[in-house]
Amino acid sequence: MSNNPQDNNRPAIGPDTLLFGIGNSGRSDDGLGWAFLDRIAQETDCAGQLEYRYQLQVEDAALVRDAQRVIFIDSYQGELPGGFAWKPCEPSEDFQFTTHVLPPRGVLHFCQELYGKKPRADLLMIQGMSWDLRIGMSPEAQRHLEDALRFFKDKILT
Amino acid sequence: MNKTSRKIIIDPVTRVEGHGRVTVQLDENGKVKQARFHIVEFRGFERFIQGHPYWEAPLLVQRLCGICPVSHHLAAAKAIDQIYGVDPEDLHPTATKIRRLLHFAQVFQSHALHFFYLASPDLLFGLDAPVEKRNVAAVALEHEDLARKGIQMRQFGQELIKALAGKRIHGITAVPGGVHKTFFPEERDYFLTETDTPSVDTMIEWSKGVVAFIKEYHDKNFDWMDSFASYPSGHLGLVGSDGALELYDGRMRAIDSHGETTLNDVPGDNYLKYFGEGVEKWSYMKFPYLRHLGRENGWNRVGPLARLNVCDSIPTPLANEELREFKAYTNGKPNNHTMHTHWARLIEVLHCAESIRDLLHDKEILDVVERPKVNRRPEGIGIIEAPRGTLMHHYKADEKGAITKCNLIVSTTHNNEPMNRAVQWVAQNVLDQQQEITESMLNQVEVAIRAYDPCLSCATHAMGQMPLILEVLDADGKVIAEHVKEAT
Repeated sequence: MSNNPQDNNRPAIGPDTLLFGIGNSGRSDDGLGWAFLDRIAQETDCAGQLEYRYQLQVEDAALVRDAQRVIFIDSYQGELPGGFAWKPCEPSEDFQFTTHVLPPRGVLHFCQELYGKKPRADLLMIQGMSWDLRIGMSPEAQRHLEDALRFFKDKILT
Repeated sequence: MNKTSRKIIIDPVTRVEGHGRVTVQLDENGKVKQARFHIVEFRGFERFIQGHPYWEAPLLVQRLCGICPVSHHLAAAKAIDQIYGVDPEDLHPTATKIRRLLHFAQVFQSHALHFFYLASPDLLFGLDAPVEKRNVAAVALEHEDLARKGIQMRQFGQELIKALAGKRIHGITAVPGGVHKTFFPEERDYFLTETDTPSVDTMIEWSKGVVAFIKEYHDKNFDWMDSFASYPSGHLGLVGSDGALELYDGRMRAIDSHGETTLNDVPGDNYLKYFGEGVEKWSYMKFPYLRHLGRENGWNRVGPLARLNVCDSIPTPLANEELREFKAYTNGKPNNHTMHTHWARLIEVLHCAESIRDLLHDKEILDVVERPKVNRRPEGIGIIEAPRGTLMHHYKADEKGAITKCNLIVSTTHNNEPMNRAVQWVAQNVLDQQQEITESMLNQVEVAIRAYDPCLSCATHAMGQMPLILEVLDADGKVIAEHVKEAT
């Protein structure tokens, strides 16, 4: 995993960019994806389309079809150096589909198979620590969110 | 074959909601000693919500489950209406219609997802198909039209939910004693006309198509569909005052496996009088049962199969015609064929599409809703037929309006015993005394569970979670075989 978005060919974040924030703010750090979108909306002039999801679903492939660029933002259960990770996301059929969990690469796979479209896609994972039924994030997750936001504003939005 | 006692664990079950764990214990001769379906259920919500103002409940419960937030929202709203002081018959007619429309949209999209993306790989490719093919990715590849229709039916339902709730996440439709938002003509017309999203008439045509598909499939595979994971059981569901299928607001009816009535159209506000909840040491989830029949005999299936078994008719013509055919197959007797749940689910898809059309054409749906004045009561109970079955919400509030007690019996809890019976059937009929336990055999355990479309621990889903672990343990607890699949 890398936090270095070295790619001069990446499309700018415009109205045809989809940002999926995935999670559930009722389950503590699982709300990182939504919190990230909230902050982007409040603090930047990001022109991308912000979409909130409990989890990705098959119909999201139809939304992705019309996008030039897609960014998936989700919490991560596990250790991430620096508390977050940014990496490209490629379509893949190598996944176990559940209605609970359709991974970003699965949505991209459906989009490619059904609509013949493969937009540039990236994944931003932010490390969470607590997953209990609780509104509000852990202090560690809050720090990881700030770091991920700083990275996004400095390296991706500009 | 290893002569030591073996334990097979599938953890968690794939293609169902949340976390499930199947344990099949074999003895030294490979004979099934015990088969159990463990569900890791979060009960913390009932404590979490205590202290919150009662009017927040319909909003907060949406975060209980990312799969069926609308069902929890509406069940809570019905309960909170009563604390607010409004009975269902006193709700503004437009409020009732908007809530019903929301509910039909939810059931429609949920059932469509289950059929196209969870059940169809099993049905289209068969139980013995290679594991890499038994996946919705293969459905997309080989049955593109089916996959596209599945996406568009899901989209239709989700778009309708968004139009009624204002937004898809954190949307508000129901508020105590009414609804939050008026439904506007331009929003209504979007679903009546063919645009980017197919119209409701197309949804009805496609629904007829999937019912025809499952009937044809049954004609070709009736041996398997009639026998696989089937067992006698009771059935529970809501019915209207005329005995017709009722998904939003009705009375509780239950029958036993022979069709004898065990719960005779009773109102939901007495549910504690009729239902007990059994506890087993090996499961976090409770086992609901009818008190007068006891824990052993009083359990019931809930969901599409149960609903079609308990109702006398369906109040939309095309679905009602399909119900007649469905009931005729078992000569009017209760249908205990677990795989027929798929058939029943698709008849409900058709019913929802017809009901959505009827409500969209109802002029009253566009009226402005006036809420009655508050007339506080100490408690409220809301019962609804969620996609997966009967869902019960019960709240008590103190004089300041703070919630002091919450009790939820979710559909999957009702189906706890039935799913365990299904697992036991597969264990006895597929895994018992086999020289080798193959992946295909293990998949059949999951096929049996998937028929119930269980929603297990709800919405935590962070990346890195949910590996599939299959372990074979000997009598000493030593792992003698293991498979791990990453789900994300």
